[in-house]
Amino acid sequence: MMQVHVTINGESVSRDVDDRTLLVEFIRKDLGLTGTHVGCDTSQCGACTVHLDGVAVKSCSVLAAQASGGDVVTIEGLAPSPDALGPVQEAFVACHGLQCGFCTPGMIMAVDHYLTVDGRLDDASICHGLEGNICRCTGYVNIIEAVKHAAAARQGGPHA
Amino acid sequence: MPKLIGQPMPRAEDARLVAGKGQYTDDVSLPGQVYAAFLRSSRPHAVIRGMDLEAARSAPGVIAVLTGQDYLDGGHQGMDHVPNPADAIAHEQRAFNDSLTGHVFNQRHIPLPIDKVRHVGEAVVMVVAETQREARDAAELVDVDYDPLPAVVDADKGMLPDAPQLWDNLPSNLCFQVQIGNPEDIARIFAGAHHVVRREFRNSRIVNCQMEPRSALGSYDPESGYLLISGSQGVTRQQLCIADALKVPRTQVRVISPDVGGGFGPRSMVNPEQLAVLWASKRVGRPIKWTSDRNEAFLSDYQGRDQVARAAMALSADGRILAVDHELIGNVGAHTVSYVPLSNGSRVMTTVYHVPAAAAKLSAVMTNSAPTGPYRGAGRPESTHVMERMLDIAARELGIDRVEIRRRNLIQPGQMPYRSPMGLNYDSGAFAANMERALTVSEWDAAEARRAAARARGRWLGIGVANYVESPVGAPKERIELTVEPDGRVDLVAGTQTTGQGHATTFAQVLADKLGVPFEAISLRTGDSAFVSVGGGTHSDRSMRLVGTLIVQAVSSLVDLGKPVAATLLDTTEGQVSFIDGEYVDATSQRKVGLADVARRIAESGLPDAEGAAADTHRFRVVAEFNGRIPAHPTGAAVCELEVDPDTGEVELTRYTSIDDVGTPINPLIVEGQVHGGLAQGIGQALYEGFQVDPESGQVLSGSYMDYGVARAGALPPLRIELTEDPTSGNPLGVKGGGESGITPATAAIFNALADALREVTTDELPMPATAASIWEAIHQGDRV
Repeated sequence: MMQVHVTINGESVSRDVDDRTLLVEFIRKDLGLTGTHVGCDTSQCGACTVHLDGVAVKSCSVLAAQASGGDVVTIEGLAPSPDALGPVQEAFVACHGLQCGFCTPGMIMAVDHYLTVDGRLDDASICHGLEGNICRCTGYVNIIEAVKHAAAARQGGPHA
Repeated sequence: MPKLIGQPMPRAEDARLVAGKGQYTDDVSLPGQVYAAFLRSSRPHAVIRGMDLEAARSAPGVIAVLTGQDYLDGGHQGMDHVPNPADAIAHEQRAFNDSLTGHVFNQRHIPLPIDKVRHVGEAVVMVVAETQREARDAAELVDVDYDPLPAVVDADKGMLPDAPQLWDNLPSNLCFQVQIGNPEDIARIFAGAHHVVRREFRNSRIVNCQMEPRSALGSYDPESGYLLISGSQGVTRQQLCIADALKVPRTQVRVISPDVGGGFGPRSMVNPEQLAVLWASKRVGRPIKWTSDRNEAFLSDYQGRDQVARAAMALSADGRILAVDHELIGNVGAHTVSYVPLSNGSRVMTTVYHVPAAAAKLSAVMTNSAPTGPYRGAGRPESTHVMERMLDIAARELGIDRVEIRRRNLIQPGQMPYRSPMGLNYDSGAFAANMERALTVSEWDAAEARRAAARARGRWLGIGVANYVESPVGAPKERIELTVEPDGRVDLVAGTQTTGQGHATTFAQVLADKLGVPFEAISLRTGDSAFVSVGGGTHSDRSMRLVGTLIVQAVSSLVDLGKPVAATLLDTTEGQVSFIDGEYVDATSQRKVGLADVARRIAESGLPDAEGAAADTHRFRVVAEFNGRIPAHPTGAAVCELEVDPDTGEVELTRYTSIDDVGTPINPLIVEGQVHGGLAQGIGQALYEGFQVDPESGQVLSGSYMDYGVARAGALPPLRIELTEDPTSGNPLGVKGGGESGITPATAAIFNALADALREVTTDELPMPATAASIWEAIHQGDRV
């Protein structure tokens, strides 16, 4: 057992966990934040993507211990307030960028980070940015639209 | 009030899902829950000589280590999946009856096998422990003494007389063999034909890959019975199957499917683990949760496709089809879970073409592989692929243009309604116009110029067209309950289950229009057998077709039910009252009362004609139920254009056109999303996916996303999608269905384009999936000659 301390969605928490605990298990089971999903065991699908110290990571491939001392943001912490959605979340709704919604939180966390650090908006660049996330429902077309839509919104409005 | 049917509204359910507030099964927990893990078979086929469970039983945290014998000793029986579905035409009959083998095999499926293991990944022993990790660790300690048997994973080989035999009571591995049509008549036509095309097509095995891994949370309470929380495509079927297996009344089984992370077919049937957590929960006295990891999913989820078609087409000198004759061999896998793909595939075999005579011989074969079930399209994409490839081959061999041979054979508007030789009745569908539109939108005529330009860049361009029609069938039973509450809220209960199709939005669009109430006032409830008593679930394009039809009926009944109450409130007679835009209006005074007013009056005073004081007489509520078939045939055409890099075999889809007639699109945004998603799965099957098993050892080689290719964002070509409408008269909304529209022609269009690109180097059928390696092989085989 070891103690893990993180800031999660702005809140400081400490928990004693088994050494083997993955960050995604810590988030889902110890902290009860079930918006982060597990879709594979091989860090291929991206459903578990969260932000750790401002970087999008697959939380199934990070030990909770490795994240200790870090700043974690999950899908539950992305919205600016409890009754509003962030621009990427809004864009996924507006562009029908989801169907079953299971891959969506990880997809949104990946896109949010992509727009922060890279943000090129040609299709090839966006597809490269989404390479680590699998969706089985929507066929990606509307997700790519959502990336462009969110980029415009982040710059000050959907038509900017 | 503006009409909502036909509006591309964003979905009502999305705000919750994008905020991470979805509730998928693994997100749900019950007090005191413990965890299950399964030891799975490492062998494709072996006798279980014995098991050493002691190490696992004494491992930390372990509560129980259970076997199939424990299950049977509890007085339970195997699951009856009802693999033989209702006939596409006569819903009261099974699809397959007069098998040449004398019977249609239906083996009950015990959740953990007793005597033998029959596929790699089959659950053998169940371990229950305090934590998931302890359960998984302990499962590793179980030692099973296997006596290996020869295995067969290929359906063709499974039919051979000396093939390893899976079930003692099925000596041939043949679940059934059915001859449709008259083979002698067909043979005569073939003998007199100008030209005959014969080819074999192998449709690859697909892993469902729904993003939410399967998960099940089971609990038992002596008073209320069993509770299963688990994703499915409809709770009623799950409830009935589980109650039958556990030998309890259905009222003792409650199934809840909360948010479901993708369906695509295989979630329709009950899986062993869902049953096991219930049985074990009663045994250990605590709720049990099991969640599959992705490796387990690749080994044990019900899989799709895996069909061999040996097809023959007889033609006249001018390219008119005289007859087709198919031998379809379906790989059932190790348990009889579903015969739907063979049933659907044979029915729709002649697709949109006028085929004067057709015959099919169908064989369902058991093999040492995971069971197969319906996977998106379930037989229609397979048959479309065969028909469209045969036409391209016939065109080439006869020296007729690929488009022209289709024009000569498409069923023409003057032939409608058209009865196909396999017994389907097409009531609508502008087959020829759809293809012409696809050719125009895709700029087919300018493809030769693009081909030359590509060649100058060192790339080989190919273009292919495919026409399709579907045969929506599915469970022929549905029910809705429609209630107006005194506060004006409208509650709709349906037996369908969204797995991403947005039912809460589209059903509300229909109901808002028909009842004249605000969209926001409507809430849909599904996915709980506590209030869903009847319903067929979501598959086969059935949800809007059936629920939409029932909404129209229920609205009419509801309006009639409220009319005498409204007359009382308006102080007039029933004959004076009409219902306009959600309000009852008195023709004389023009006074109005709303649905909520009527609901309040009914809540207070009861229905005027009702007898007794039953609770329902105080509710403004109607039920609509349907048993039978609502036929409809979504149709369309696709054109795929691609470029092959001859140096590497890499394929790039460069443009893709999809013309889809789904009847009335209730929400075009959602329908187009379905086309996108279906296409992504079709591209996946054509180019990347394909479950790989070592034919010698029977070992699975595709055990994770690292070695099984699914389409990622870069795989999608620039799309041109158009919805055309030729609404069916078969239901009041004119709905045909959109869930299978993208996928049905996809592999056919892609393979036709690939064959076109490679026409100078090979006329062989490419394997499916057509990976870069296999295309490179096809290109460079000539180098070695």
